[in-house]
Amino acid sequence: MITAELQKSWAASLLEGAAGTAAAPWLEELRGQAGALIDCLPPVNRKQEAWRYTNVEPLLKESFQPVVQRPSGYGGEAPEAIGPHRLVFVDGWFMPELSDTALLPEGVTAGSLDEAIAAGDERVKNRLGSVADPGEHLFAALNTALINDGLFLHLPAGVKLESPVELFWLNSGGDAARLAQPRNLVILEPGAEAVLVEHHLPGAAERYLHNGVTEIVLDPGAKLDHYRIQDESEQAWHLSRIALDQGDGSRYHGITLAFGGRLARTEYHGLFTAEEAACTLRGLYTVGNDQLQDFHLDVRHDVPRCSSREQFKGLLHGKGRAVFDGRILVAQDAQKSDAELTNDNLLLTRNAEVDTKPQLEIYADDVKASHGTTVGQLEADQVFYLRARGIDERRALHMLCEGFAAEIIEHIHLESLREQALARLRQTLGEL
Amino acid sequence: MLSIKNLHVEVDGKEILRGLDLEIGTGEVHAIMGPNGSGKSTLSYVLAGREGYEVTAGEVLFEGRNLLEMEPEERAWAGIFLAMQYPVELPGVNNMSFLRESVNAVRRARGEEELDAVSFMKRVREKAELVKLPDKLLKRSVNAGFSGGEKKRNEILQMALLEPKLTILDEIDSGLDIDALRVVAEGVNALRGPERSFLMITHYQRLLDYIEPDHIHVLAQGRIIRSGGKELALELEEKGYGWILEEEAAA
Repeated sequence: MITAELQKSWAASLLEGAAGTAAAPWLEELRGQAGALIDCLPPVNRKQEAWRYTNVEPLLKESFQPVVQRPSGYGGEAPEAIGPHRLVFVDGWFMPELSDTALLPEGVTAGSLDEAIAAGDERVKNRLGSVADPGEHLFAALNTALINDGLFLHLPAGVKLESPVELFWLNSGGDAARLAQPRNLVILEPGAEAVLVEHHLPGAAERYLHNGVTEIVLDPGAKLDHYRIQDESEQAWHLSRIALDQGDGSRYHGITLAFGGRLARTEYHGLFTAEEAACTLRGLYTVGNDQLQDFHLDVRHDVPRCSSREQFKGLLHGKGRAVFDGRILVAQDAQKSDAELTNDNLLLTRNAEVDTKPQLEIYADDVKASHGTTVGQLEADQVFYLRARGIDERRALHMLCEGFAAEIIEHIHLESLREQALARLRQTLGEL
Repeated sequence: MLSIKNLHVEVDGKEILRGLDLEIGTGEVHAIMGPNGSGKSTLSYVLAGREGYEVTAGEVLFEGRNLLEMEPEERAWAGIFLAMQYPVELPGVNNMSFLRESVNAVRRARGEEELDAVSFMKRVREKAELVKLPDKLLKRSVNAGFSGGEKKRNEILQMALLEPKLTILDEIDSGLDIDALRVVAEGVNALRGPERSFLMITHYQRLLDYIEPDHIHVLAQGRIIRSGGKELALELEEKGYGWILEEEAAA
């Protein structure tokens, strides 16, 4: 089991590896506080509810090399994007020569966080670290203690982007396994609207750790569609934390499709502090042999009249394992809240396993809230129906799995991305 | 076309069919009637190849081939179609894609060329018109949230597209109002011809007013105990099943 010592020494080796990178005093302070926190945080082991079913001990026995300078590339071409706005990151660092931001409207900032900090951008200084709490756990603190590059996206008030901003997270190869640990800051000023697409891909690497934290600030009336396709390598460790701060009348529509990684964890942290805001979180995960997908949601309704919808579905095969921990808290003053949480799992084999735990904590009395969880197998009647119509058993299974997953994928409002997602799903199904 | 001899079938160790014999010739329409629990639905599922039905004795030949050795999809390829009493809902599976998948699977198996999206669409629209299935239901998930009548019309649409040699209609009339029943019957009648055979399983005489059978059989306690022409249905309508069961018991 992970001890406080193991946690401390693992983090210390990473912090040491990154030492000597000077930054602005305010950032030094932010990093330093987070670094100091690590020594006080409880170890990420099964004694903690949030880590009860997710064993990261093998991860803490591995060593990784932090990447403290912009790499020269990853040895490949720039990936093809859906639209004109492409931002490529290698080992967590923004790569201007692989990216294309020329057609972004004037006033929109999309690029390197590191550069924005170096340029003394006040918007970054004011908001960085204000949404994501580094004290959440080891990995959140580590990300903050090691802040260097990542995405900085800023839309001025009223700007509505027509094409999606598409991010590609790639990794360079090399002898030592690397730690990519981007810190992302997304700010949409009042009434701004954007679509953000993220592709998490291996690039040239097999073994690496991605430990990303994304802070999203939606000012009143802002709208963000945020699609993430996590397709890391089979040997990769992937940890993502997305923290939201929503102003009144703002809307966040988030979908994560998790296909890759040996251990992948996605955390959503939503906090409603202003009324009439809405947030939908959806996810699809597939797991096979030697794979664990983990989703953690923590959505807090602190004020009245906000709505949240959480819908997650898992397809498990082989000896795949999944963990779903969805928590929605409706505080006493959060009257007229509307919250609905579901988690459905389809187990295609006997050896697959899921631990699912929906939690609804409601302290207000006038709310609409529900939750539901299912864990099941393909229904024999459905398979028979398809076979009786001439469709062979294997194809019938694929169609039913695709149908199951389609209920998440159909919420992607970009047709070309929806097609990509379906093609990726079919790739997994084809291997069954 | 279909020859059933001395068929015995068990479900969960309980014998449901007890020596059933039935011959259906090419181009014939047969109706099987019988009280609840007589084994009507078991017969239809055994013919379609559903799991959970154990054949303990007897044989079923379809165009001379041993049907009982074939997988459900092989039976569909061979030309057997079961219109189900309770069509299954398939959430997330688009109806149009499903229909195309099904038609092309059967065409492939028969060595015919697959239909491309455009010509398939045209054909579906044509047949959907025939069974009065609204266009919007083609875009939805298969049977999901369909009314009882819509589900049955979707079954008949599939039948019309697959053009089976032998269609088994398992209580196709249950839960249908007269208008819906008429539409369903028209769909079936449109497909009737010297090449195709039908086996209707029903509880009620009413269906036979719309789809006229050549032969009627009474199924009770797992066997066919009486066969006859159309007049048998009228007799059943008048007197119920009791008299046949009594005669059978006395014999």
